[in-house]
Amino acid sequence: MIDVFQKRFEAEKRKAFVATLFVDTFLIFYSFFLVYFLSLSFSHEVSYASQNLSGSFLGMMLPVSALIAFVWGRWGRSPGVSLVYRTNRYLKSVVRDEEKRQWWKKPYGVFSFVILIGTFVLGFQITDVSFRSLLSEEGMEGAKRIFTALITPNWSIIGLVLTAMLETIFIALIATTLALPGAFVASFFCARNLVRNSRSASFLSVILRTLFNFSRSVEPVIWAIIFSVWVGIGPFAGMLALMLHSVASLAKQYAEEIENCESGPIEAMEATGARNIHVIWHAVVPQVLMPFLSFTIFRWDINIRMATIIGLVGGGGVGTLLMQYQGLAQWNEVGTIVIVIAIVVWMMDFLSGKVREALL
Amino acid sequence: MSNTSKPILEIKNLSKIYDDGRQALNDVSFSVNKGDFFGVIGLSGSGKSTLLRCINRLIDPTSGQILFNGVDLASLPKNQLSEQRQKIGMIFQHFNLISRKSVLTNVLLGKLGQASLLQGLFVKFPQEDIDRAMYLLSIVGLKDKWKYRAGELSGGQQQRVAIARCLMQKPEILLADEPVASLDPATSHGVMDHFEQINKEMGITILCNLHFLSLVRRYTPQVVALKGGQKVFSGSSSGIDEEWFKRIYGEGAKEVQIR
Ligand SMILES: Nc1ncnc2c1ncn2[C@@H]1O[C@H](COP(=O)(O)OP(=O)(O)OP(=O)(O)O)[C@@H](O)[C@H]1O
Ligand SMILES: [Mg+2]
Repeated sequence: MIDVFQKRFEAEKRKAFVATLFVDTFLIFYSFFLVYFLSLSFSHEVSYASQNLSGSFLGMMLPVSALIAFVWGRWGRSPGVSLVYRTNRYLKSVVRDEEKRQWWKKPYGVFSFVILIGTFVLGFQITDVSFRSLLSEEGMEGAKRIFTALITPNWSIIGLVLTAMLETIFIALIATTLALPGAFVASFFCARNLVRNSRSASFLSVILRTLFNFSRSVEPVIWAIIFSVWVGIGPFAGMLALMLHSVASLAKQYAEEIENCESGPIEAMEATGARNIHVIWHAVVPQVLMPFLSFTIFRWDINIRMATIIGLVGGGGVGTLLMQYQGLAQWNEVGTIVIVIAIVVWMMDFLSGKVREALL
Repeated sequence: MSNTSKPILEIKNLSKIYDDGRQALNDVSFSVNKGDFFGVIGLSGSGKSTLLRCINRLIDPTSGQILFNGVDLASLPKNQLSEQRQKIGMIFQHFNLISRKSVLTNVLLGKLGQASLLQGLFVKFPQEDIDRAMYLLSIVGLKDKWKYRAGELSGGQQQRVAIARCLMQKPEILLADEPVASLDPATSHGVMDHFEQINKEMGITILCNLHFLSLVRRYTPQVVALKGGQKVFSGSSSGIDEEWFKRIYGEGAKEVQIR
């Protein structure tokens, strides 16, 4: 019986080693990359954009990194070991009792810290942070021009703007509503505490979470571009983009809420011999319903803001209007739209906040 | 209590190692006869909860057998679990009621294992079940509270609702995991008295984790003691003298009375 455990432990260790190797290879490779660009940007004042990673650099450094990662992970405590072991429930106990606080005395801690600092330094170099262009005379002149136009809005187009704004609000509303049922059902399969005991549910869970992570990591603006080619520019494309993003985001939020819910009632229902759907319906749903509603209203709120942005790339509504005036450099009209957006978004934010407060 | 010598539950070489490698039960064996009121004692972390939760498979044991009416629960496939669980009631330290639902609904949910899909979803049970639920509520002295939300009741009352919910299952055996650990002494005795009544009058076998030896002496004729996941004592609870007490709870321990 100890053997059974030992075997599983060894298997987990092998899996962890592969994961560790990936993490460490990436980190070490990244550290080479950092050193390379930092030395370039400081020595010859060349900008980041003019540099290209050559294939031979990649081809050289990748195997070298992998080799170092292998040696470090196999015979020492690399950052990857630390990361992977601490997050694996079988292996946690191996590193649990080690002194965690004195990371700065350990090579993996120092290495991680140096990488972090290097990243910030290079970040500043790449972003080309320059107060000169922000505060130059020429810059100030431009700022004055646009701000004067913006604060003298053209109110004659207010009817048009409000109509477009309403379109935006409804795009957001329908996207949220259509996303709701899918997200609701999917969230129960995504919640780790519910699928743990079933292999097929765990499998489905992994697939769903991967899909959702993917659709969430592509911004709605990009989805809107894709859908505007598919169904044509307009509110429908914007709605589809928002819906896709909302399903994924809501499912994730819902699932987290389910994972945080009290396990006591769930166990009590399981103990009666109830089937899974009954357990979830009686022990989980009453606990999460109000938070779900609150998330949904918040999502609508977020979607109104996103729908505005999506409009800029042809997703309909007030954003599309904004883009048109901006293209014509009619800054007074742009000012009108910006003010309307600000007021509406602020109002919706306030309202949804109040409703959510009342719900919880 | 005619057939007292027939074992309803036989634990054989039961071991549990948690995923993180911690061994909570180590080769535990004992048997419980039909109609017994069995206490389980031991220090915090000795494996009492683990033992009970292995029996109805809230957690899966690592090895060993759990023979319940001759059926090995330890190796029972998931799809046959429900049938056995219906015969095993469980009481928890923190009651685990559905706090947003009414007391009556909570009691009725004890029948969830036997309910059809739609019946269970809408809590539409026949009148005889509702009558039985009300009857069980009257046994635990909460008949007039049936309309209240479960979360509104006091701890002692919630535990009595949990007992009624359990009885709704018509269990053959009842597992109670420190049922009175979050109640005050007077309320504790009220709840323990209900267990005694259930055991004597309905003939339901009870396996009950307890913290206080005084409760064991007062209520449970039989006892099994765990220490570090191993069984160190099993037998009549009157057999636990000063020396055994020290062996179970450690040299420096002193017995506390709960009256
Ligand atoms: N889910 C779990 N994962 C890992 N280890 C666990 C888990 N549950 C319990 N343990 C460990 O198993 C051992 C026995 O725990 P158990 O809860 O069965 O003890 P107990 O006798 O019920 O204690 P208490 O009187 O505090 O309730 C403890 O060392 C505990 O830390
Ligand atoms: Mg316990």
